[in-house]
Amino acid sequence: MRIPSEDSFTSRLRSAAVAARVGLWLGICFLVALATGLISHYAQVDHQPVPLPTSPSWGYQVTQGLHVVAGTAAIPLLLIKLWVVFPKLFQPMPRRVREALPTALERGSIAILVSTSLVQLTTGLLNVAQWYPWGFSFRSTHYALAFVAVGALLVHIAVKLPVVRDALTGDVEDTAHDRPNARQSGPVSRRGVLVLAGTSALAAAFLYTAGTVPGVGRIAALSPRSRQHGIPINRTAHSAGVVAEASSSDYRLEVVHGTTSRSLSRQDLVAMEQRTCTLPIACVEGWSATGDWGGVRLRDLLDLVGAPPGREVRIRSIQTFSASADTVLPPNFADDDRTLLALELDGETLSMDHGYPVRLIAPNRPGVMQTKWVSRIEVLG
Amino acid sequence: MRGARGGLILLGTVGMAYGAWLLLSTQDLGQVVEVMIWLAAAVVIHDGILAPAVLALGWLGGRLLPRAVARGAVTVLVLLGPVTLVAIPVLGRFGAKPDNPTLLDRDYVQGLLVFAVLCMCAGVAVALGELRSRQTTQPTVEEE
Repeated sequence: MRIPSEDSFTSRLRSAAVAARVGLWLGICFLVALATGLISHYAQVDHQPVPLPTSPSWGYQVTQGLHVVAGTAAIPLLLIKLWVVFPKLFQPMPRRVREALPTALERGSIAILVSTSLVQLTTGLLNVAQWYPWGFSFRSTHYALAFVAVGALLVHIAVKLPVVRDALTGDVEDTAHDRPNARQSGPVSRRGVLVLAGTSALAAAFLYTAGTVPGVGRIAALSPRSRQHGIPINRTAHSAGVVAEASSSDYRLEVVHGTTSRSLSRQDLVAMEQRTCTLPIACVEGWSATGDWGGVRLRDLLDLVGAPPGREVRIRSIQTFSASADTVLPPNFADDDRTLLALELDGETLSMDHGYPVRLIAPNRPGVMQTKWVSRIEVLG
Repeated sequence: MRGARGGLILLGTVGMAYGAWLLLSTQDLGQVVEVMIWLAAAVVIHDGILAPAVLALGWLGGRLLPRAVARGAVTVLVLLGPVTLVAIPVLGRFGAKPDNPTLLDRDYVQGLLVFAVLCMCAGVAVALGELRSRQTTQPTVEEE
């Protein structure tokens, strides 16, 4: 079979005017995903130099929802963008070294951009469905490759800036930057391609990520999560290996401040002043669900051991083999009136999978750090 | 403009270098190699399999289908194709855990079929719209 050349592609849909427009939407998706991803990684740092605010309580819910919406919408957009610019893969290399070197560098940056973009979108997509067919850490790799992908994107934008500017300020039917033989009209118009690309992106994002959105979640037919079993669960008590300890009558919650400590049974906690709060559990995987939580305010427990306000508080779980088993609450979260050690969810005793006997629930906090099966609360110095 | 472009290239290069350093410093050699294999495989699968398959479909469609039908077919392909790829993780239920009924708790085959029917309807509507506009604007010159 003959290897095609750039001029083998004659459709006028493969145009800079189309590429720049789809590329602009794709760039916006990448920017949203980067910003919301950085927020999520920062929110999971144990000792934040500047703590994130506790309000609005739905902040993390919205940013992580946007993260997976942007990532999922980017999949159709990236595929269409690559279709539009596919002939460039067959561009000849310049013969003269002086021209060949910058061309090779630019092509190299495009190769990095395409491969990291494809891998970022794929691994993110699989993470939402909790499918991990790889041996590397998803969290570290997705974080590292984000910088590579966005870095390569900035280089790409810099190289293409004059063309992009012309294309975006000009008409969509403009052919100034197109190859001379890319003139054949396709079955749909350029505007048609843009409408289809946008619709495809919105459809993919809605179907895959809206599963826990009230009202429309039921028709988000490809979402890995729904609300039909109540608030979704990431790790069950069984898989965390905590069933025996969590259901034992010997369970005690230790509250420690320096040399002062209190050991509380679940009955002791029930006997304290009970408060209720409506707060979301929001996962980095994009799903979120709001519940009515009932339990003891963390600040009341800190008062029991004489902890002054403004301290960081370490929360430990019975479970040991997990990043979320040992986390630190910044002072503003520890002192917030809405931060509870929850005993009830939606009027019922907390189920084992939701963290019985007691779990942390705080506003605007990553779901993975809403520690379940809490065993120890330690005021830090 | 020249300064802005230079700045962007510099910033982008720093970003790429920082990301590469992050990867090398957080993953062991075997994991880094696996990431490299994923990066290479992504390009090979897209450029070597997916893109040629779509090219072949386009080539065939352009020769075999009348324009109105081709218009409908492109509509179905662009709407349904990417969504089907997006659905692979849930269709295969690869991440399912026996003790967690809150994960992958829908009939995804049925969901995708319903979406496919909707795409077909959109495709038919687009094809019919093309035929009707051709009748009303006769005699037609090539549209574009």
